[in-house]
Amino acid sequence: MMELVDNLGTGFSTALSLQNLGLCFLGVLIGTVIGVLPGVGPIATIAMLLPLTFKLDPTGALIMLAGIYYGAQYGGSTSAILVNIPGEATAVVTTLDGHQMARQGRAGIALGVAALGSFFAGSVATLVIAALAVPLTKLALLFGPADYFSLMVLGLAFAIVLARGPLLPAFCMIVVGLLLSTVGTDLETGEERLTFGMPNVVDGIDFAVLAMGIFGFAEILRNLENPEVRDVARTAIGRMLPTREDVRRCVKPVLRGTFVGGLLGILPGNGAVLGPFASYTLEKKLSKRPQEFGSGAIEGVAGPESANNAGAQTSFIPLLTLGIPPNAVMALMVGAMTIHGIIPGPQVMTKSPELFWGMIASMWIGNALLLIINMPLIPLWVRMLRVPYHLMFPAILIFCCIGIYSVNNSPNDVILTAFFGFFGYALYKFGFEPAPLLLGFVLGKLMEEKLRQAMVLSRGSFTTFIENPVSAGLLFLTVVVVIVAVLPSIRKSRDEVL
Amino acid sequence: MKKLFLALCVALGFAAAPAGAADYPTRPITLIVPFAAGGPTDIIARIAGEYMSQSLGQQIVVENIAGAGGTTGITRGSQAKNDGYTIMMGHMGTHGAAKALYPKLKYDPNKDFAPIGLVAGTPILVVARKTIKANTLKDFVALLKSRQDKMNEAHAGVGSVSFTTCSLFNGIVGVKPTRVTYRGTGPVINDMLAGKVDYACDQIVNLVPQVKAGNLKAFAIATPKRSPALPDLPTTTEAGMPEFQVSAWNALFAPKGTSKEIVTKLNQALDKALSTEGARKRILDLGGVIPEGGDRSPEYLGTFVASEVARWNKVLKK
Amino acid sequence: MSNNDNVQKENDGSMRAPRTVGAGLFMILVGLFALYHSWGLTTGTTRQLGPGMIPQSLSVLLAICGGLLIVEGFVTRGEKLEAWKIRGPLFILGAVVIFGLVIKPLGLLLAAPIAMGIGGLASSETRPREIAIFAVVMTAFCLGLFKYALSLPIPLAPWLIGY
Repeated sequence: MMELVDNLGTGFSTALSLQNLGLCFLGVLIGTVIGVLPGVGPIATIAMLLPLTFKLDPTGALIMLAGIYYGAQYGGSTSAILVNIPGEATAVVTTLDGHQMARQGRAGIALGVAALGSFFAGSVATLVIAALAVPLTKLALLFGPADYFSLMVLGLAFAIVLARGPLLPAFCMIVVGLLLSTVGTDLETGEERLTFGMPNVVDGIDFAVLAMGIFGFAEILRNLENPEVRDVARTAIGRMLPTREDVRRCVKPVLRGTFVGGLLGILPGNGAVLGPFASYTLEKKLSKRPQEFGSGAIEGVAGPESANNAGAQTSFIPLLTLGIPPNAVMALMVGAMTIHGIIPGPQVMTKSPELFWGMIASMWIGNALLLIINMPLIPLWVRMLRVPYHLMFPAILIFCCIGIYSVNNSPNDVILTAFFGFFGYALYKFGFEPAPLLLGFVLGKLMEEKLRQAMVLSRGSFTTFIENPVSAGLLFLTVVVVIVAVLPSIRKSRDEVL
Repeated sequence: MKKLFLALCVALGFAAAPAGAADYPTRPITLIVPFAAGGPTDIIARIAGEYMSQSLGQQIVVENIAGAGGTTGITRGSQAKNDGYTIMMGHMGTHGAAKALYPKLKYDPNKDFAPIGLVAGTPILVVARKTIKANTLKDFVALLKSRQDKMNEAHAGVGSVSFTTCSLFNGIVGVKPTRVTYRGTGPVINDMLAGKVDYACDQIVNLVPQVKAGNLKAFAIATPKRSPALPDLPTTTEAGMPEFQVSAWNALFAPKGTSKEIVTKLNQALDKALSTEGARKRILDLGGVIPEGGDRSPEYLGTFVASEVARWNKVLKK
Repeated sequence: MSNNDNVQKENDGSMRAPRTVGAGLFMILVGLFALYHSWGLTTGTTRQLGPGMIPQSLSVLLAICGGLLIVEGFVTRGEKLEAWKIRGPLFILGAVVIFGLVIKPLGLLLAAPIAMGIGGLASSETRPREIAIFAVVMTAFCLGLFKYALSLPIPLAPWLIGY
């Protein structure tokens, strides 16, 4: 315990130096901006800024780059709530209830709760990293390919709960998402699958391309056809900040979200993506008013947003203690550390304690700064909803175009997004909800990879998924979730028939 | 606005007197790195680019175009204008193994480029999970041969350095283990730390901390000399497998037809960068090997590429 | 989305939920399309799954689900098919495609106002003068934000200044 206090002391004295404080502020500010902008993500931005950090000392550079990453997670909820565009996979869940709240004139409350929840989750997760990073590393090593596959299956079960409407269309969307995730070069053989000769999908469809298409552009088309719906959001602007009652309703969801998100964030292979989905499922099932979910339930924003931010913080654990990056942004952080002459791995903590603890302390400071930056901005964001829609949509359009282009500097990506916009429009006309599609897409790639690894390692035996205790437990949980989710709707549909 | 105005002035200046090779470079140079930012090749490219731009007087901007084992980025680079403002970082995969791995490759490593020079090589290690019952390369090879059907080798995807170099290793040992494919080196190391897979071959950069911490066992380094990053690790020659010599080299190329003056200017800048103390220290800290003397010339790189293409063709077409 | 006014009140023939039937047909179409294009890939064995295994089985699964949706559309009550509009998709998606086509040759300086101009045609509320001024202001804003503040490598005006 004393050691922890000592270490945090070292950390704060490093992180609170004028230069590092400034860099932390700069990082979270840039992060917020790119998080709000659709398409422009932390990967492109950090890669762009890497050369600039050459001149800084490694601790300062990493504090800034880390700030960009979790700042972007923070900002991502803003565009999800205001204009229904998830900039990141983790913001998909926030569109469900967050944007509904905005349509009811409660955008300010949604944004406020998201910011407060994220701050709380970020603070707790930072403490967890400081106190438990090393023992928690073992958790990351517990998961083999078979366990990972079962975890993803559980993740897909969340999608069924996510769905607002009937189950069968939601299931169709999951399958379409999984199918889209198979597009690209086959990992094992190097063969191209379903690429139609397009060079920009050889490595798979980019998340931003798909999300901007079926959420962003399809949403514009939808709004243009239903002027009544969107105008409500403009005229009815209620409170800017959450009331005490709102906050009270969110306490438990935030706590649970922090726990679930933080736990999943530790897993290698981007487990953090599952956090918000898991939290949403949990809240919907525990709620006394599950019917409110999908039409503006505040718990459906608070829980997932906390899970998102907790996961964003704890995904630093495998990086800091093992030197293994759990996702693409962390891989970039490995690069940043290496360029600065610090090879990430188990030695970082002992060899460069100022860097290690300074970074952890800066995360807490960064989260506090994010709250300070974001709370005053809420009224501004909400006021932006008053812009007449015939001016708002060209602006969204151009932001999306530039954002997608900047992901890979590829004009073809922009054109592909238009195609997915049309696909999203068709889905809307046939009454499909696109959120489960994105979950399927996000999990699909990893799922196939892990399935094939598990099958190779078990020499073709499916029993590997049950013999393994972790995997078996997760599959059991999946069955429970599916039963709990499916039962009421079967009863309902039986009533509906005739 | 001020920047725009300046840019306009520069543009008009261009129109008045078209810039020749003599003034080169007059604007930033794009360096295509065919892998995701943060990986070993990207890091070496950024270090080289940073120090080269000091002597060139113009910024070298890294553009990451990842995909298909690096061939996507190199394809785009090979089709770029050959005015010296687009160059690329090729490596063992893109300019050696790719020809054997991708039958539909849209470029010829030997013919479609103007070689600039070798930048750095990163040595390859053979590593295994720490619980494996072998301590030397000889023991490990014996174990591998006796338990061939039980052993799992992990690699980071067809076309990756770990895949090609371990193909060579398995070929020399004469075994066909079960090969498990991962997406990238991170998950390979993760599952090896957890003991889910048995062994792998990979670049030293990715492995040093784990080997030092005793989380992984390293058997040998596939270079003629020991590495200062892991001085206790024997070379493959010392360990009794002299035919396993391989390094993940990185080298700069310009598109075919780039004028000789420009190539020379870039080569000189690279030579200067590789002699600078700062750049040397950074590359050596990574466990990298810096080419010296005649090995830095464009001509050497040209013949080297030809020999690498021939070598990997033999190893991978088996 | 469950708009009650849209639900068919009486039982007028066997198809009770045209939208669900349409959805089912659409899913079958997507499934068959993917199956057709992944047909040539090797399926592999359980020990070594081939590249074709997952896409092929997902395509078949999707087509089956589509079939179930069609059955459901005949059995349960549901909504009518909505009319598809042309104006919105044509101009919005057209604007995106044009942006993609001209961003490299013309740069942001021209691509942005062109895209916003075309996109503006999607709404009947758009006034030409208003959108023109707005496009200029937005383009300047985007230049400042993306090009200078975030320094993203977007072509500015290659025809004028070379990058």
